[in-house]
Amino acid sequence: MRSLTTAATGMQAQQLNVEVISNNLANMNTTGFKRQRAEFQDLLYQNIQQMGVDSSDAGTIVPTGVQVGLGVETSSIYRITDQGALENTGNRLDMAISGAGYFRIQMPDGSDAYTRAGNFAVSPDGQIVTMDGYTVAPGIAVPQGARDIAINQQGQVQVLVDGATAPQTIGQMEVVTFFNQAGLDAMGDNLYRESAASGTATAGTPGSPGYGVIRQGFLESSNVNSVSEITALISAQRAYEMNARVISAADEMMQASANLR
Amino acid sequence: MDNAMMIGLTRQMTLRRAMDVVANNIANANTAGFKAESLLHESHIHHGAETRENSDDIHYVNVRGLGRDFGQGELQLTRRPLDMAIEGDGLFAAEMDDGQWQYMRDGRFHLDTQGTLVTFDGRPVMDGDTGASIVLDPGISDIQIVDGGIVMQDGVQMGRIGVFDVNNLGGLSKAGSGRYILEETDGGDRPENMINPAVRQGFVEASNVQPVLELTRMMTVSRTYQSVTKFLNDANELSRSAIERLAKV
Repeated sequence: MRSLTTAATGMQAQQLNVEVISNNLANMNTTGFKRQRAEFQDLLYQNIQQMGVDSSDAGTIVPTGVQVGLGVETSSIYRITDQGALENTGNRLDMAISGAGYFRIQMPDGSDAYTRAGNFAVSPDGQIVTMDGYTVAPGIAVPQGARDIAINQQGQVQVLVDGATAPQTIGQMEVVTFFNQAGLDAMGDNLYRESAASGTATAGTPGSPGYGVIRQGFLESSNVNSVSEITALISAQRAYEMNARVISAADEMMQASANLR
Repeated sequence: MDNAMMIGLTRQMTLRRAMDVVANNIANANTAGFKAESLLHESHIHHGAETRENSDDIHYVNVRGLGRDFGQGELQLTRRPLDMAIEGDGLFAAEMDDGQWQYMRDGRFHLDTQGTLVTFDGRPVMDGDTGASIVLDPGISDIQIVDGGIVMQDGVQMGRIGVFDVNNLGGLSKAGSGRYILEETDGGDRPENMINPAVRQGFVEASNVQPVLELTRMMTVSRTYQSVTKFLNDANELSRSAIERLAKV
């Protein structure tokens, strides 16, 4: 009986589906989190009766044939990168990208990582850093005695230093985009790494064509929609139960045969 | 073995196969673009051993073919710009490594590193007008699918998603991964691109498996199997008691 293994693939797939949904729900309040979706495909088919073969010497052919499928498999779990809602925090160093793009983060090992989470802070030596203390590219240093930091939509960072009357430009934020941002490799801690599937990062000025603008004092919340996640969870759970029912029905059939006297 | 046993066994064999098909439907109840299937039975008439004049024919049960329900699956809103669903007839096409085309209803596409519109496993999606792949400008995040499957970026037409009209849906065989192979029976012409297909952006066509129907079918199969088993038991019992009674003489 193929039904047993077929239903087992169905149960495995739904289990994975629930795992993905629960990770989405767990990260509902994670800044810059992008929800994921498990994608399924039907598995192999076994040809019991090949279609198109001759069914008689007169040249008639079998029109439909018999193909029995062997279940379901996960084809990919991908990230849906649509914009999350912007939330006003009032913090001067919180930045959100409205539109396409990622902040580039310089990791301690010299490599680059990318993030949508713009909850930044200033390090003891004045650098703008992430919450883990990693430098935000291109590395902007806030001078001593700076009173107010202003970041405009194009990413220009200006400060008002004590004693000066005119604001002083201290740097320019950059954002990077990818050909295929769904192909980025998630490292955890809100960070992504470039991968062979994502393509290489192209840096640009915020607000230029193809790049989003920077909003100071805002954070991008996760794009998880709790209602749709719960609905997906319910349907995954029901599908799991149905597959379990198939297993018990197939089992009953085999039992009936085994009890033949 | 007598005919009663043989007929019962053919029924059980077809029921097992029917169960396999139901199991596959249920396993794919959440697979986008999946089309439900059901087995078609026929009676296979066989002339039994002629023990007397005009003896009755024996009707065995046989699997005749597989019916595939190509009915529309429900459209689910995802808002993902590269999710596309066809409302009504037609199939998307993707090119395999050997140049052969495979067809699918599942329109969850992606962009590869060159900006080509591809399926989940990197097979290029075919343009309806040119019959080649569709290459988008990855620098422009705005992708719009307008009437008839035309792909627009910043007001410029980048291509037209091919939606092909396969006349003989029965000639499609499933290749797995949500795709179909078209058995070339009539000279190998590719199906025609539809003039004005209804491609809906941001939607995914859900599986058209109806869980309640499949569960009912599953119960029917399971119970029928049990009653055939009971019938086989009865037939066995009959011949056993016949032997016992005859032996007493």
